Amino acid sequence: MTDLAHAHDQHAAPPAPTGIRRLTAPGWLRVLWVTPIFIGIGMALPVLVRWAADWGPIWKGQVIITIQLVTAPLGFLVGIGGFDYWAHYASGRPTRAEDHSGHGAKTWRDYFRVNTDHKVIGIQYVVTTLIFFCIGGLFAMLFRAELAQPGDQFFTPQTFNVLISDHAALMIFLFVIPAFAGLGNYVIPLMIGAADMAFPRLNALSFWLLPIAGTMIVAGMVVPGGGPSAGWTCYAPLCSHQPLGQIFFNQGVQWAGASSIMTALNFLVTIITMRAPGMTFWRMPLLVWANFTTSLLVVFATPFIAGSQFFVMFDRVLHTNFFEVSGGGYVLGYQHIFWFYSHPAVYIMMLPGFGIISEVISVMSRKPIFGYRLMALSLMAILVLGFSVWAHHMFVAGMAGWLRVPMMVTSMVIAVPTGIKIFSWLATMWEGRIRFTTPMLFSLGFISTFVIGGLSGVYLASVPIDIHASDTYFIVAHIHYVLFGGSVFTIFAGFYYWFPKMTGRMYSERLGQLHFWLTYVGFNLTFFPMHYIGLQGMPRRVADYAGRFADINLFISIASFGLGASTLVFLYNMARSWAHGPAAGANPWRAMTLEWQVSSPPPIFNFDEVPQVVGNPYEYGIPGARHAIFGAPHPAPVGTD
Amino acid sequence: MRRGSIIQIAAIALVAGAITTAAATLIPWLPVAAGEEATRIHFVYWFATIISIVVFSVVIAVLIFTVWKFRADPDDDSDGPPIHGHTKLEIVWTAIPTAIVTSIAIVSAVVLAQNSRAGSDPLNVKVTAEQFAWTFTYPNGKTYGSLTVPKGRHTRLDITSKDVIHSFWVPQLSQKQDALPGAHNFIVITPTRTGTFPVVCTELCGVGHALMRSHITIVEPAKFDAWLKSGGQAAAGPPGLAVFQQNGCGSCHTLASAHATGKIGPDLDNLQAEAAKANRGPLQAFIKESIETPQAYIAPGFSDVMPHIFGQQIPTDKLDQLVQYLAAGSKSA
Repeated sequence: MTDLAHAHDQHAAPPAPTGIRRLTAPGWLRVLWVTPIFIGIGMALPVLVRWAADWGPIWKGQVIITIQLVTAPLGFLVGIGGFDYWAHYASGRPTRAEDHSGHGAKTWRDYFRVNTDHKVIGIQYVVTTLIFFCIGGLFAMLFRAELAQPGDQFFTPQTFNVLISDHAALMIFLFVIPAFAGLGNYVIPLMIGAADMAFPRLNALSFWLLPIAGTMIVAGMVVPGGGPSAGWTCYAPLCSHQPLGQIFFNQGVQWAGASSIMTALNFLVTIITMRAPGMTFWRMPLLVWANFTTSLLVVFATPFIAGSQFFVMFDRVLHTNFFEVSGGGYVLGYQHIFWFYSHPAVYIMMLPGFGIISEVISVMSRKPIFGYRLMALSLMAILVLGFSVWAHHMFVAGMAGWLRVPMMVTSMVIAVPTGIKIFSWLATMWEGRIRFTTPMLFSLGFISTFVIGGLSGVYLASVPIDIHASDTYFIVAHIHYVLFGGSVFTIFAGFYYWFPKMTGRMYSERLGQLHFWLTYVGFNLTFFPMHYIGLQGMPRRVADYAGRFADINLFISIASFGLGASTLVFLYNMARSWAHGPAAGANPWRAMTLEWQVSSPPPIFNFDEVPQVVGNPYEYGIPGARHAIFGAPHPAPVGTD
Repeated sequence: MRRGSIIQIAAIALVAGAITTAAATLIPWLPVAAGEEATRIHFVYWFATIISIVVFSVVIAVLIFTVWKFRADPDDDSDGPPIHGHTKLEIVWTAIPTAIVTSIAIVSAVVLAQNSRAGSDPLNVKVTAEQFAWTFTYPNGKTYGSLTVPKGRHTRLDITSKDVIHSFWVPQLSQKQDALPGAHNFIVITPTRTGTFPVVCTELCGVGHALMRSHITIVEPAKFDAWLKSGGQAAAGPPGLAVFQQNGCGSCHTLASAHATGKIGPDLDNLQAEAAKANRGPLQAFIKESIETPQAYIAPGFSDVMPHIFGQQIPTDKLDQLVQYLAAGSKSA
């Protein structure tokens, strides 16, 4: 660790650029002229190559767009300053290794530049993902309006398919996964006693890939020719023959995936190398454990979805035959590659939530986590097993028959570590002093809905039941019980729990509780009936359905509008409390973990003194127990707990 | 844990169990089974449901009891007892779920093996999916737009697709199988009651996915044999009607005389008016062009989604029959 006093005097921001330098300094002005240049390069490159190679026609729109979707985001990143430090380094110009001018946010403008402060990046993530959460939710409201009655009312089947595809893509790639990355970004360095993430510039870059990905996926809906309408799963060969918008979708997923991989690498290196003295692995809060295992999943699995999306794009643009049967391709290959990522992705979207719930339940029950080591080990068990269950998405797909029973067994067994976590949370609350704050309510709501989602998961792991229920509304019910009742509830718990730390202000508890109850009731009324219509025979992803499902679909649609409206309470509470909420103080929850031992919001380098970790993070009920002490003789010996 | 707590938790669990049992049994969650395979799948479903009711009731009872019993007063700043774990308890709640899921897995594997058996003399039917229609070809070479099978005999479906991935499902038979281009998948159905049930495509296959429907008719074996010998009901109408049905035209188009009610493509009862609007030559030529090269003229309000393969797929004589049938049907309407 560098001498903090030395680091501090170097983080003064350089003087603001004036005159022509305002155009060349990193920022939005530079974006305005650099991006068009890169768009032009994206156009010129294929045209020149085709002209030089004498390939006709020289002007081919689809190829040009494909290249431009690579160059335009690069132009944006160059303009906003994502590569400045590395470009200076590579070209031999002077760099300041200890340059902290990118840290901190004094005005709202500091959130719109390449900021290397993990706390600023965390808030950038959270706000960006909430915007895409609202857009994705709006899409859901639109297609629920269409589904309120059988027949076509508002949208053509094509538009309907675009809406369901982009609803799922935005919720998964632009909300759940990056929202956890945002919370982790803010909290992990604080929790392990580090001044920042291991690679702050990489951290900034991985955030700025996110708005690119989201913009690309949304823009793909409105390009000429039509949007991507093959579902978020984008199965070949259907998605190889989609309108132009599909290319936007394929590449948007790449940018989101790249962002995800970079953040995961950053988390791994940060957690492995930057823990405070005394912070052994067995003293880490469970949120850090959860993000550690999640990051391992991300770095191993995410390249597979990148592969799947590249392959279908190549089949379309380059006329390769990865999945084209007529050219000798293997049509199920797509699904194997896709699910080899996308099933671990289910845990990528769940394990950080498990971490959040562990923090909240322990603090709000005033008790140590029950079975801490088994909790951490069950995360690792899910990590390992998570890679051996992907083909349970393909029980009816026609894959090798012998693969079904082994995949069923592993899918069943993964319920065991998940069960251990549920039971341990219950035991943590047992004999506790439970306080029903908003994050605690969302945690309790999570447990009750996740039990249902977990049990319906066991149904679907059973091959015979899955054969009946696969691709029906039963699946839609199940994924929303685990991804909404699971992931989204935990994200809300996390937002409320760390809101005082991030903003220094307290949210309105009354509105928070209102938000919880509206969401909880709206959620169950919306999604529970879907189990029924699915088993009875209504397939998923249909714009029209048999008349006998009309009443229940109307009920679901009305409930879903209530669920959507509950988000307005949340947004109002967050916006109003951020501006006008009462001061929260450093540690409103009386928690022991390190992020609560510093001011709210924390100092620019998190800790004015390096904390010395001396005990476990959840020692509630033990008089005088400390997780960490400040002002210990420096350097302190590393604990051997 | 005191005895009083256990009794209270058990009481809550019993109430929760009673409510969930009532919900599980009073609501008809599954369609009435129409085949042996469905009956077995329903058995696995009920096996899992009984276990789920027990697990859910116990977990919810503990949750409700805990949050009610251990809620803190607003001014209570004390902590709970520092319990860090309990090895025996942790072993128990690892072992019991393992045993439970193992039992479900064993039952599932047995049922899966039973449901894959086709016996020594199954009826073999080829199922072909395409955007957005099903066709069914019998051993005698005849092809129909809907499926007719005998009760009480194994029918082995050989499922494939001409374009993208589709999925064959009859909710009352529970069996489901994806139709892959360039590959053949098989499932066995063994109907146990007569009736007509929907055939549903469950894999998103394009704009017409929601309307990619057919039906299966289960008849007594004697009736089935007679039907198969007579060449099927399709032979009753004009020859063009059989072509219309065999190629699944009705899943996208409406045509009163064929009892077709599809809504993806233009209404074929209005062909004459359409042809006049299109102004692309005489009615029959217009119909022929629209089948062979559907992209040549797209009716207002529709898009280019009709497969371009019917021109090659339907033999010339059959195509002429179809064109005549459509032109005549339109005139009479």
